[in-house]
Amino acid sequence: MDVKTLTKLTKWMESTDLEEITWKNGEDKISLKFNNNPVHNSVLSSAMEPVLAPSIGIFRFARPGKTNHLKEGASVKKGQELGIVEVGKDFKSVTAPANGLLKIISIEDGKPVEYGQPMFFVEPK
Amino acid sequence: MFKKVLIANRGEIAIRVIRTLRELGAKSVAVYSQADHSSLHVRLADEAVCIGPAMARESYLSIPAIISAAKITGADAIHPGYGFLSENADFSAACRDNGITFIGPSPKSIQQLGHKAEARKMAVKAGVPVTPGTKDCVGKKEAAAQAAKIGFPIMIKAAAGGGGKGIRIVREASQLANEMNMASSEAQAAFGNGEVYFEKYIELPRHIEVQFARDMHGNVIAFPERDCSIQRRHQKLVEETPSPAVDKKLRTKLEKAAVDLAEAANYVGVGTVEFLLTQDGEFYFMEVNTRLQVEHPVTECVTGFDLVREQLLAASGEKLTYTGGHTVPLLGHSIEHRINAEDFSRNFQPSVGRVEEWILPGGPGIRIDTHVYAGYNLPVYYDSMLAKLIVWAPTREMAVERSRRALAEFKVKGVHTTINAHQLIVESADFKAGKTDTGFMERLLAPAEPVKAA
Repeated sequence: MDVKTLTKLTKWMESTDLEEITWKNGEDKISLKFNNNPVHNSVLSSAMEPVLAPSIGIFRFARPGKTNHLKEGASVKKGQELGIVEVGKDFKSVTAPANGLLKIISIEDGKPVEYGQPMFFVEPK
Repeated sequence: MFKKVLIANRGEIAIRVIRTLRELGAKSVAVYSQADHSSLHVRLADEAVCIGPAMARESYLSIPAIISAAKITGADAIHPGYGFLSENADFSAACRDNGITFIGPSPKSIQQLGHKAEARKMAVKAGVPVTPGTKDCVGKKEAAAQAAKIGFPIMIKAAAGGGGKGIRIVREASQLANEMNMASSEAQAAFGNGEVYFEKYIELPRHIEVQFARDMHGNVIAFPERDCSIQRRHQKLVEETPSPAVDKKLRTKLEKAAVDLAEAANYVGVGTVEFLLTQDGEFYFMEVNTRLQVEHPVTECVTGFDLVREQLLAASGEKLTYTGGHTVPLLGHSIEHRINAEDFSRNFQPSVGRVEEWILPGGPGIRIDTHVYAGYNLPVYYDSMLAKLIVWAPTREMAVERSRRALAEFKVKGVHTTINAHQLIVESADFKAGKTDTGFMERLLAPAEPVKAA
């Protein structure tokens, strides 16, 4: 089986709720299995999208000398800067993943964050 | 002593450091990448922080992320383990600039001794014998003349190298230009520094190394030598101490060389001097490792020292535990087997997956350093070492028997391991007789694995 067919097959499988299939043709045999291990696949059963820390560091709502008055319930635009993570002398931008409503702010200004820590939840519109 | 130490590493070495910290009453901070969230070092440490994605470049090799983790957790020192940032002078400097103690030598020492050509100069200064070769990095123009002066075969080595990368053997002048280009581009790709130098190639030497520790007060200890001759493609598989090829007289000379070098470099911390030992018993300086080494446990087994503890003492400005002289007594014999997740039958191809069964050997004289447990998923991103099996016995003969017994008890299912390769080693007549050199594995595997010309 070539990579193209394999890609098609995998895509198709994603669109179904199949977990495992086996395909046989003479000597050729291929088995596909989705990794649905709950530890690794923590899909939130929510319409909200989490905004994760892009780096370990200190979270700030605004760059030095700037202000940013974000409030829960405010509407945000995709790509809008919600804050920054300060790591050393570097600032990593934290942006909204979609147009929508900022439902939850789970971080405070000046607090340390780990890589991948959820800081905001946005409900896409 | 430090109150809280961050370990900028993963796997068994992170656990090794946590253990000593706990004995010293110091808190430990583990850092981990997203691929390592279920790793054992994360569970054993007092605190753990995620520092980045799976790719080491953005996590275990990210200086800003690690410094930031140390500041957030309030760690007063960083232990770098081995590999990753352990011999990175910039990292040592970044720690210092942020008011954090780097548990390892100063940036200056790392530069002097970690850079091979610089280290050679230091060895010459300290009166330590060096292999015939170029003192400095070699440019393309002077290459032919320099190689002729040393005499073929020669080795081309990366100035910033390590782990066997960037080393090429040249047997004839006609191959020189081509091999030099390849060595230089390999070195550029692996270390970001394409500088190379030449050394006389010694046929079938033994790889002998001497561990040393030195504190700020000038106390130095050189430990009995380790023999790391059993290597495959420059990667060590088995290490033992003492070496079957070293007698008391030679040991005294080797230990003196290590002490002299540590003094000359004004080195603070633990380090290792590597030597090549010829068949005739001559030894030549090869390089210095400015970090704790994978094989440090064999030294601990025959001397009773905790080298991580010595490292922490030296870094915190305290005295080493023993200040009564340059050498320490040696008791018995110790052998380490590096058990990797590799398929021995398929040319040591890396094996990944879930460790379904994990039964460790035990009983007298057995030590296992590992981060693996049953149910552990091996991440594909890092090195393939699963465990270090270390045996100790009163004599070499008994230690070899103990290795054979322990390897037979070691059961792993789910991933391929090199346990069977180690069984082949301990069963071989040459190994039992202590007749090992750096060509040992090639000869042992010759029927099973066609050896390509170097």
